[in-house]
Amino acid sequence: MIANPRLPLSLVLVLSLQACVSATVNEMTYNEPEAGIGDAALVILGRRHAPDYDTEFDFIDCVGKVIHSGDPSITVINERQFIDRLYPWFEPRIAPMQPSDIDRLRAQTPIHEQLNRFGIEYMIWIDGTTIETNSTGSMTCGVGPGGAGCFGFGTWGNEANYEATIWNLNEQAEVGKVSAETSGQSYMPAVIVPIPIIAPVQDTACESLGLQLLQYFSSEH
Amino acid sequence: MIFGPRPYGLRMIALVAVMALSGCSNKQVIVTGNFPTPTMTKVQTTLGVVYSPEFANHEFFDEAKGRNESSWLVQTGTAQVEFWNTFLPGMFERVVVIGSDEDWHTHHESLDAVLIPQVAELQYAIPLHTNVKVYEIWLRYQFRLVTPEAIHAHEAESLMFNPAEDIASFTLTAYGKTPSAFMQSDTDAVNYAAIVALRDAGANFITQFERIPAVATWLLALGEDTPGEAP
Repeated sequence: MIANPRLPLSLVLVLSLQACVSATVNEMTYNEPEAGIGDAALVILGRRHAPDYDTEFDFIDCVGKVIHSGDPSITVINERQFIDRLYPWFEPRIAPMQPSDIDRLRAQTPIHEQLNRFGIEYMIWIDGTTIETNSTGSMTCGVGPGGAGCFGFGTWGNEANYEATIWNLNEQAEVGKVSAETSGQSYMPAVIVPIPIIAPVQDTACESLGLQLLQYFSSEH
Repeated sequence: MIFGPRPYGLRMIALVAVMALSGCSNKQVIVTGNFPTPTMTKVQTTLGVVYSPEFANHEFFDEAKGRNESSWLVQTGTAQVEFWNTFLPGMFERVVVIGSDEDWHTHHESLDAVLIPQVAELQYAIPLHTNVKVYEIWLRYQFRLVTPEAIHAHEAESLMFNPAEDIASFTLTAYGKTPSAFMQSDTDAVNYAAIVALRDAGANFITQFERIPAVATWLLALGEDTPGEAP
């Protein structure tokens, strides 16, 4: 029995409130595998050598999920597992910066064997981050004997900027770049209860980038 | 006894929340994490390693400088030993931890050299210090590679070494950072930055070890090919 039939409806409305996001996607790719990548796997890695930001691990996971859910035949190797199995060669200090560096790593038998076990044909490097661009407003929250509540209004902007570089390891060549730029403004009005109206800036960037990469790798898209 | 909602429940929650959110507390980080073994062609040597008590119990304390700051205690010793115990056997064919005079007597004839790591310096930065949303840990190591004969027991049963029998002495730096994240505590972020710094120490060690002239000469004398080179 539902005590208050309006409550679930209100909850759904609040949870479904999303602010707008604008997105720009650029793509420049070559030598697309027209029949897909078959049994080969790909790995998506984040660049983390910049002094003031790291490409987020959860963003890399998200892009991988978009690709795999779009075409389950594509095997996407988990980033952390890959980095740990090939430690320390993909640590930020010494990570390969160009496709030919992979061949130099392969000169060491244990690395060559590990790469073969993964069956990786493509390596995708994603560089970028999501930042907060501005925030304004104020909100006051209080707790008293009669209850608790907030009053005020806050707003903040987010910008996401990511670039994916695709390496074909068999050809030792860079075969494309895809970038996604998204931005949006989130709001949080509060009259007793704060109501977040979030702009899914990072999620949109993830989906945009993931779908472009999916089109490149999948024969079904 | 029946437990039920109490009228002062919310007030208690609020009080606990306020106490938890108030600053000026001491923060302690005992660095913990999992470390991978290096994947590489191993150096064909038998290496002893001595962790001094200072190294195995290494900690860094930074006292609060203002009313709004916290004092920080970062204990890296246990993680240091765990990391190097995982790392070195992945890089060298055989590694023996020399923890006592007895260990030395048992193994010294089979050892090619003994490595003695020291943390010479640790610095950290949190967003409160730098206004950048990144937590950072910077480490400077002092490594000594000595002949097995250089090791001897001290009166207090701790191991000492004769500096005259150095094969090589070198410093390495390591850096780790982690951006601030929603719902991530200061201590979790500093711990993660320390883990990244330790992993970076391994990356730097592998790429620099062979380039140290005295080490290269020693490896040449042993007839050992130098380990893998980073791109």
